[in-house]
Parts: sequence; C-alpha cells; structure tokens
Amino acid sequence: MRRFAGPVAVLTGALVLTGCGGSDDAKAQLSVGSAYMPQPVSDMAAGFLDIANKGGEKDELTSVTSDVGPVSVHETVGQAMEEVKSLDVPAHGQLVFKSGGNHLMFDKLKHTLKQGDNVTVKLHFAKSGPLTVEMPVKSATYNPTTGH
Amino acid sequence: MRKKTFAAAALLAAATLTLSACGSGDDGNSPVAVVSEDTATQAATVLDTPFEKPDLVLTDTHGKKYDFRAETKNRPTLIYFGYTHCPDICPLTMNNIAVAKKSLPKAEQDKLLVVFVTTDPARDTASELGKWLKGIDTQFVGLTGDFATIQAGARTLGISIEPTSKDKNGKLVSVHGTQVVAFSPKTNGGYLLYGQDTTVDDYTKDLPKIIKGETP
Repeated sequence: MRRFAGPVAVLTGALVLTGCGGSDDAKAQLSVGSAYMPQPVSDMAAGFLDIANKGGEKDELTSVTSDVGPVSVHETVGQAMEEVKSLDVPAHGQLVFKSGGNHLMFDKLKHTLKQGDNVTVKLHFAKSGPLTVEMPVKSATYNPTTGH
Repeated sequence: MRKKTFAAAALLAAATLTLSACGSGDDGNSPVAVVSEDTATQAATVLDTPFEKPDLVLTDTHGKKYDFRAETKNRPTLIYFGYTHCPDICPLTMNNIAVAKKSLPKAEQDKLLVVFVTTDPARDTASELGKWLKGIDTQFVGLTGDFATIQAGARTLGISIEPTSKDKNGKLVSVHGTQVVAFSPKTNGGYLLYGQDTTVDDYTKDLPKIIKGETP
C-alpha cells in the first residue's frame, strides 16, 4: 500500500515541471538523483536512482558501466526480472529505478562493498552525453521513503 | 484493505492533477494527509483460514535433512522462498527481518525461526546458501533440495515459483512470489502474510506478537 507514496510523489514533481516549467527546449535535459546501493550480501548488488528529463525530447538509457564490476539494467515485469537493452527516459518525465521495480544489477563485484562506500557509476544514453553518478552504499535495509 | 488502497491512490492522483495545472498550494497538502493515514495501517494480512504447514523435507545449510513440520513445531516461524542470485527483494526482505529480529531480547531471538527456501536449488547448494545467509543472520535456516518438492510446498502457501530459466540474454533467473508467511507457535497455522513492501519497522512491531502467537 505504501508503494503508492513513492511514485505519486515523483509524478507530482514531474507534472509541476510540465505545467510550470518555462523551457521549450526540444532536447533531452537529464539529471540524476536519489542514487543508492543497499549494502550487498554477496558479490551481487542492486542499485537504484532516478533519471529526470526536463527537456522536450525523450532519451534512452543504453548502458551502465562501473569500476566495481559488470552492470546490467533490469526491469521487473510482474514477478520476473528481465535484463533489457535500453530503457526510455520520457520527455518531461523520469526513469525511476526503485526496489521491486527497475534496478541496476551489479555482478561479480571485485571487492566487498560496505555501508559508507561510494560506487562510481557511468550512465550512457542514446542521445545525451554520459552522466557520472556517485552512488553511496547505504544499509542493507535502507528505505528511500523514510531515509533510513 | 485493497479497496482502501485504490481510494487513496485516486485521491493522490486527483491532487497530482491539480498541481499539474499550477493550482494553489493548498491542494498540495492533501496527499500528505492521505499517505500518513495509509502508513498507519497494518503491514500484515491476517488470514481468515490459516495455511497448514507445507510438507517440506529438504536439506539445510549443514547438508543435513530438515523436516520443516517437525523442526518448526510449536515455534514462531517465518518462511520465505527466494534465491541467492536475486539482487533486490530477496536480500532486502531477509535483511529487514534480520534487523527487526536483532531488536528482540535474546531469548525471543532464539525462539524465532526464519526459514529461507531456495527457488533455485541447482545453484543454491547447501554451502552456497549457508555462505549467503551467514552474511544476513547466522541463525537463519536455509533449505535446498528437489525443485518439484519446493514448488509443491510453496504452492500450498499460495506462493507460485517457476523453475530457473534463461532470460533472453542467457542469464539465469528465478521467478518467485515474494510473500513471507508467519506461522503461529500456538496453532502451527500460517496466519499472517507479509508483502515485499514490509519494512524493518513493520517487522519490529509485529515480531513480538508473532513470537507469542498473537495477531498484530
């Protein structure tokens, strides 16, 4: 039930931008927020973040790279998670990675990651230039809604 | 409970639309009120007809035979079906329970049984499972064994799991329901159901009740 809170809040923000934003810039304008990785149990980990697009044109997240190990992009369809080649970042919208939904999957981590560490992640897009994100490692039970 | 959820969602959507039209700030307050009412509701779904314990005779992380019904008899027990190559919900759920458990007095921690049954027994051998669970809570029980037995056991709890399969990129994935079922130490019935959104705080609040076989 609580799951409505997250996406709705996000949507509200996005719509405020749509309604009140003055920009008619056709190009995608991307920014990244709320990045975190729950402290992993093994050599696999999940990563979450929001990619906002203030521009009037959609973009696509095509790949993700990191020094800590291979990263793939997964979406959750029903109960199944599936690796995908790309995900859309809609115009005046957001691409949201959150627990139970889309996630970045880190595989074969080169070293143990602990709460307090930072993981550098590079996001590659179809049109826009790559974005580098510092993803903090949070507690294994970190909940972005409550912040602890 | 479900009806209430949809009502809340509709209210929130209405408020969202108002904002998109640059409406006055007053409307912006209503989602907050609805959400706070929402979080006050119970995490557990109390089952009118409790589940019988599944007849699962599997192998634990020490490689020994583990008869779920016999081992968990009259013990407060939580069961979850998942797999160790699962990056998101499985470790989150197990860690949420582990953190909540640590807030209990030692004697109560020792009473509680948390059983993780793999849905990917080919990769989750007894030792792999043991290694993974040790990173979460050394008291948690991990079970592996014949997939058909595990699937049939899960099905009696209304949890659907599918054999591990390759996705279109050749990665092995396991599809499984993410519910946690709590069994009462008094009746041995599976009387509570928790979804994947259940937080540490929810479990912290409910575990003392489960240990007594009470309804949270």
